[in-house]
Amino acid sequence: MNASPEGRRLAVRLQNVCKVYPGGVKALTDVNLEVREGEFLVVLGLSGSGKSTLLRCINRLVNPTSGRVWIFGDEVTAAEGARLRRLRRQAAMIFQQFNLVRRHTVLVNVLSGSLGRSALLPSMFLRYPASEREQAMAALERMGLGDRAASRADSLSGGQQQRVAVARALVQRPRLILADEPVASLDPALRHSLMRQIEALSKDEGLTVVCSLHDIDLVKRYATRLAALRDGRIVYQGEPQEFDRGTFREIYGTDAEPASNALV
Amino acid sequence: MPPAETNPADANRMKKSVARLKALAIDALLLTTAGLMAELLTIAFSGRRGPTGLLLTAEEALDLLHYAWMVAAGIVLALVWNLFSRWIGSSPGRALVRGVPEWEADLPWSHTVRGWFAVLFIELTFFAGWLITEVDLPAFLTKFSKASDIVRGLVHPSASVLHQGVVLLVQTVFLAFMATAFAIPIAFALSFLAARNLTRGSVLARGLYNLVRAGMNFTRAVEPLVWALIFISWVGIGPFAGVLALWIHSVAALTKLYSEQIESIDLGPVEAITATGAGALQVLRYGVVPQVLPPFLSFTIYRWDINVRMSTIIGFVGGGGIGYILKPRVDLGEWGEVGTLVLLIAITVWLMDIVSAKIRERIV
Repeated sequence: MNASPEGRRLAVRLQNVCKVYPGGVKALTDVNLEVREGEFLVVLGLSGSGKSTLLRCINRLVNPTSGRVWIFGDEVTAAEGARLRRLRRQAAMIFQQFNLVRRHTVLVNVLSGSLGRSALLPSMFLRYPASEREQAMAALERMGLGDRAASRADSLSGGQQQRVAVARALVQRPRLILADEPVASLDPALRHSLMRQIEALSKDEGLTVVCSLHDIDLVKRYATRLAALRDGRIVYQGEPQEFDRGTFREIYGTDAEPASNALV
Repeated sequence: MPPAETNPADANRMKKSVARLKALAIDALLLTTAGLMAELLTIAFSGRRGPTGLLLTAEEALDLLHYAWMVAAGIVLALVWNLFSRWIGSSPGRALVRGVPEWEADLPWSHTVRGWFAVLFIELTFFAGWLITEVDLPAFLTKFSKASDIVRGLVHPSASVLHQGVVLLVQTVFLAFMATAFAIPIAFALSFLAARNLTRGSVLARGLYNLVRAGMNFTRAVEPLVWALIFISWVGIGPFAGVLALWIHSVAALTKLYSEQIESIDLGPVEAITATGAGALQVLRYGVVPQVLPPFLSFTIYRWDINVRMSTIIGFVGGGGIGYILKPRVDLGEWGEVGTLVLLIAITVWLMDIVSAKIRERIV
């Protein structure tokens, strides 16, 4: 392992990525971004600035209108069918609204993280090999939810559901985690604990994280690098330490005020 | 970049002309209809008599109207109204398509030509309808005695067909059930293709979507009675023909209901499962099916309920079930026996209604 970030391999690379939605909304304009392996990149920006679209272009939940995207050296924008699915397996995603299958049990939700490598027929009947079940249980234990494995997903609280979603991501055995506002629907008191869990995962497993946030308090604590979007363009990239009131204004506009003094 | 850039000003002008034409077409249609209805009323009040010396029937009167002239007059009037709308006020078509200018919006209806036209149009429709459907209030009020036999029979059901009626009622319920059961797997499979939000991906998916939608709309548009006639000549008179007639209709109806349900799902889980690298079938199984299964079940039970009701009519033409013995008794005027059968059907439909409502309440 090379200690200097520049020496490490690229986990994600976006080159001139543009996204125009049908109807003409320009979500991303000419985005260039590089994320090195092991980095915890936080994407900042107002809602509607293109953060979600950016994350979804990386695993092609959204198809970029133009431009190219690579993860771990493989071009996602050139992949289709089975090859695209194999690339997707490397990038687990965590969502603001958790996006669990609400009527399934917690365990089945966690197991669904392994769908990319599961045999089709058994998975259609929610059957999984014992080894997968053990791994899923271990992931649940790790998130402190081992006793809720048989509960229906929608019977859990928001914080618990998001931890199930993290366990699902873990079971996917990814090299990259894409987290789209993972704590925005959580109680403020729970935000740090969930972010700490994602951080611990990335450190233990050597995962790269690309995480969108709009809460600046969290940014300095967890990010190893920052990128900021405004109106679909990257307007700032740098170290969290360099982030100050001036750059804040640059991202959020001159009317904005930081909610706390954490950054000054 | 698209090869041919369209000038936004040109596109705007295009849109405006299309809107103008639409307004004109609506106005011409309304004015022509109004003119025809007015002419019909004039003919009726002129007391003109037909070739038999009797007053004209509605059909004969409709034949006398000057359609071509009225269409021409309608178009001319529509043109005039649209050209001089600054003085006359917006025409109905213009108001519908392009909205009303501000100075008109606050006027009460009685201060606009459009308002008076609307009132006139509604009244014309009512009186023309009275003539066309040959409303005969005196007959309705004075000639009840002619129907008293039937009504007496209906309220004095005879027990002679009770046994056969119950047996065939059982057949009716099962007939409806089998039609529904056969329809479920096909409608289930088709509904995913008929859901707009799942078929955005490719040109092929879009094509299948349109094909399934068109096919289902056609199938639903054809009356079950017509399907029954087709299947009776296909598999012969009997309950199986009835099953098939209700089946094909149920496939179309359930596909529509199912696919609308799929269109209203939360796409979040679909995204989440797609992101794991799952294949299309797995995405459907995990992201879509759990969300739609309870409402699907509810729709299906409701459909069974509808099929029980429909199968009575299907039986009239030879599709099995209780309708099969009801028809000859109506023809022969055995009103007591008809009364028994009608009562049996009513009780069953009522029971099905209660049970299906209760089950559906529980599911959703």
